Amino acid sequence: MRRRPAQLALTAVLFVLGVLAVAQFNGQGAGQGLSELSVSDLTELVANVTTRNNQLRDEIATLERQRETIAGAVQRGDTSSAQIRSDLNRVLGWSGVLPVTGAGVRVTVSGPIPGDAVELLLNELRNAGSEAVAIGGVRIVPGVVATGPAGAVVVRGVPLGDPVVLTAVGQPQVLAGSVGRAGGPIAQLSARFPDVVISVVAVDLVTVPATDRDLTPELGRPRL
Amino acid sequence: MTALGARIRGIPSWQVTLGAALLALGFLIAAQLASEGPRIRYTSLERTPLVEAAVDLQAQQERLKQQVLDLRASIQDLEAAGQGGTQLTRDLNDQLQRARIAAGLVALGGPGVVIRLKDSAVPVPQDGNSRDYLASGQDVLAVVEELWLAGAEGVAVNGERVTTSTAVVDIGGSVLVNSAYLAPPYDVRAIGPATMYDRLLTSPGFIDFVRTRAETFGIGVEYAVLDQVDLPAYAGSLNLRYGRVGASPTPAAEASDGPTGTP
Repeated sequence: MRRRPAQLALTAVLFVLGVLAVAQFNGQGAGQGLSELSVSDLTELVANVTTRNNQLRDEIATLERQRETIAGAVQRGDTSSAQIRSDLNRVLGWSGVLPVTGAGVRVTVSGPIPGDAVELLLNELRNAGSEAVAIGGVRIVPGVVATGPAGAVVVRGVPLGDPVVLTAVGQPQVLAGSVGRAGGPIAQLSARFPDVVISVVAVDLVTVPATDRDLTPELGRPRL
Repeated sequence: MTALGARIRGIPSWQVTLGAALLALGFLIAAQLASEGPRIRYTSLERTPLVEAAVDLQAQQERLKQQVLDLRASIQDLEAAGQGGTQLTRDLNDQLQRARIAAGLVALGGPGVVIRLKDSAVPVPQDGNSRDYLASGQDVLAVVEELWLAGAEGVAVNGERVTTSTAVVDIGGSVLVNSAYLAPPYDVRAIGPATMYDRLLTSPGFIDFVRTRAETFGIGVEYAVLDQVDLPAYAGSLNLRYGRVGASPTPAAEASDGPTGTP
């Protein structure tokens, strides 16, 4: 008879123990890294995450409108191909299967730089919100990487000449400001390669071509 | 002594277990309080709200990403419900589904590798830079690029799918992928052919990476070749604000198919 309350007490203690162990484990993962950052790093991080959250809210608004339109069409028994085609074009343009035209920047690199330096510029353009990027006329999509030593950089089998030109669609001032900021990629590359000249020009209209790469996975299967 | 031994032996086993559990509980509560204490003492007046804001924004981001994925799934279901339309509609829906898979908007599973990057366990020398001993965004980016070159057809870092718009950013020793804060260790997952890992091992770029980061600074580089690697769907924005999409791949007329069913 005395064993039952003891078992209950033991169960309760072990339950609390488990909860606390998980809380401690999670707490260590999430907070530790952030609390080690400086105030300016934290400010930059907060700005980055806020921008992404705002983009996600825009995406949610777009998807909600899209869902309403499709739901209305389905209710009416109307299968409008226009809505599906519009969604298809949005996905194909974003992913690189279709060309994209709009305002943006042209980054020109005169002088020999290696592939990783080109990737540094590309990564910054992506971080600044570019919507489509091409290097030497080759659309950058997953799997396409600029590689090779200085003066012999290749993108998707295409040797880049001199100058190397990156074209990006996006908000011109933001893109130009991001690559040209103090301590940014241009500053870093100018320090590494003093003979190389990098210029950024905002353009009203630039066209980024479609990729010729087949992006369909061969081995990966959709997980539903 | 024998009396004490007999007394100890006389304690019921449940009391011993309960005692041990309470001891562990005490340790955990103390550890929890201790982990709060130094952070509060260490944190400056400016830093505290910033850390809280960052944690809060990251939690918001997780909810927003889930909302995006749920909406996309709901739209897909609605489109499937309207599949009874014309052949054109069915073809467009099939194209759209294939485009979503190719773009990384659908979770994928398949054979591949996982490369884990961990902070160095080597003590930082007095004249060394502690940042060099942390797994960085540049390390993550280098491994992602090497995996693409080795034939990967899909890549993700921790919970973030790498897509055409993905940037990997270093901010003061922390890493953001798709503007999401990721805590180390960084698991770079890739689906690809069986030869992918061998190609990676013989790539001059990867050899150079291991030499400069693992051998010089002790950055942990571990790997696993797996039959099944799961990649999450990209849960970000596809909106083009400044760009307009060029010609459609299907030149068929842009028009409504009208009502379905027999008149």
